[in-house]
Amino acid sequence: MNPWLVALLRALLILLVMLLNGAMAIYMLRKVLGHAHLRLGPTELGPAGLAQLLADIVKLLVKEDRHPNRSDRWLYIIAPFIVFVPSFMTFAFIPFSNKLVAANPDLSLLMMLAFMSIPPLGIFAAGWASRSKFATIGAVRAVGGMITYEIPLLLSALPPVMLAGSMNLQAIVVSQSTSIWYVLPCLPSFIMFLICAQMETSQTPFDMTEADQELVAGFATEYSAMRFGFMYLAEFAENFVMAALAVTLFLGGWTLPGISAAALGPFAVLVFVAKCYILIFLFMMIRGTYSRYRVDHYMEVGWKRLLPISVVWIMVFAAALRVIAMLKGGA
Amino acid sequence: MMTQAPPRPQSKWPFGLFRAARIAAKNLFRHNVVIQYPKERYNQPKRSRWAVEQIFADDGSIKCTACKICEQSCPDHCIEIDVETRQDKTKFIHSWHYERAACMMCGLCVEACPFGAIRMGHDYELAHREPGLKSIDLLTEVEAAGARKKEAEDA
Repeated sequence: MNPWLVALLRALLILLVMLLNGAMAIYMLRKVLGHAHLRLGPTELGPAGLAQLLADIVKLLVKEDRHPNRSDRWLYIIAPFIVFVPSFMTFAFIPFSNKLVAANPDLSLLMMLAFMSIPPLGIFAAGWASRSKFATIGAVRAVGGMITYEIPLLLSALPPVMLAGSMNLQAIVVSQSTSIWYVLPCLPSFIMFLICAQMETSQTPFDMTEADQELVAGFATEYSAMRFGFMYLAEFAENFVMAALAVTLFLGGWTLPGISAAALGPFAVLVFVAKCYILIFLFMMIRGTYSRYRVDHYMEVGWKRLLPISVVWIMVFAAALRVIAMLKGGA
Repeated sequence: MMTQAPPRPQSKWPFGLFRAARIAAKNLFRHNVVIQYPKERYNQPKRSRWAVEQIFADDGSIKCTACKICEQSCPDHCIEIDVETRQDKTKFIHSWHYERAACMMCGLCVEACPFGAIRMGHDYELAHREPGLKSIDLLTEVEAAGARKKEAEDA
């Protein structure tokens, strides 16, 4: 078969997954946040408000696409795509099952993390190009946040790599299926990863970039129509990617303990997606429960707490691994 | 005399985080506090005070004697009774005008009324498209109730 056609089909499949996830996550966010706040969420359109999403899509598609006066026009136009495309590309490396993964390079974890660090640049471009003080402040916060969480995020993803001896996500999942889920030996890393994931997806305790009460919508203030839709979609895509990464690194990916890959068969995908949505539900509950950090506190949490803890934990973990290996070798 | 509740003990870090998580998790299963307004109606307490209404007797006759005490007691001047006193001292109400949009639902007119002729109703949907509805006549062109009228009839 033509390799270009295969690549195109894979890309379309990923796009479909991304759009479906966006649809699912928006509905879920509204319902979960609503019930956490003793509200109902959408109820009017369709059964249990399910059709609200269609109305939103129609609204986003038919709204006027405005450019603020004296904005940096081309940057303003391409910024949503700088946010959208990398978060779209990270989906390629997610191992949905033992066969279903769009791209499986040896360093897939590294590539995924590399692509995930691009959207904040798009956010900065969007905020800068909008020529609005809300957007600019949001953008500056996004970049400040990025250098805050990126290092602890990478460090907290390392222990599973050490245990599996590979940077390939599929290999990490397979090695978890033969031993235990890495959440048990790497629990502090898992917790730090979840905190950093919350920062990465800029959800409420750390949503400096779009703090509604202070900054209207932060970097996206001046955006409308489908350009805003792309950024919105990218946000939920990132949410799913972070959950998928946490599931892959710490919670056994598409495997279940005690069941072989052959026995799971096509249900592996369902297991993986179910795990991801449980984690997304957790993210949303955190979002609905805690109040926003102040900007300086946010920096403090990143630089003074997470970074030293993760560095020390990495050293302790590596030393412990070495000692265990030596003991095993000696015996 | 109001007594202040003692302040709740502050949770030490990180137990406050867990307490908040527990509350949010409980909220998922609690009944919501929102009313789907146009479909569901707020069940009003008996003593809730909204727009002023006339009280009618069992036979449908009004109780208002047009004494104008309510008009004087109203701090917002939103009641205006146009009344004509006849030769025989009976009164005829041309209009019992109520500036509904200006009313602050204080209930002083109801307290002041010596005949129990008005009450605070339960009609709270007071926003109207028609500007005419912001002020209405509760009574128009009716004979005022009262002992004097009765005496006049007996005579």
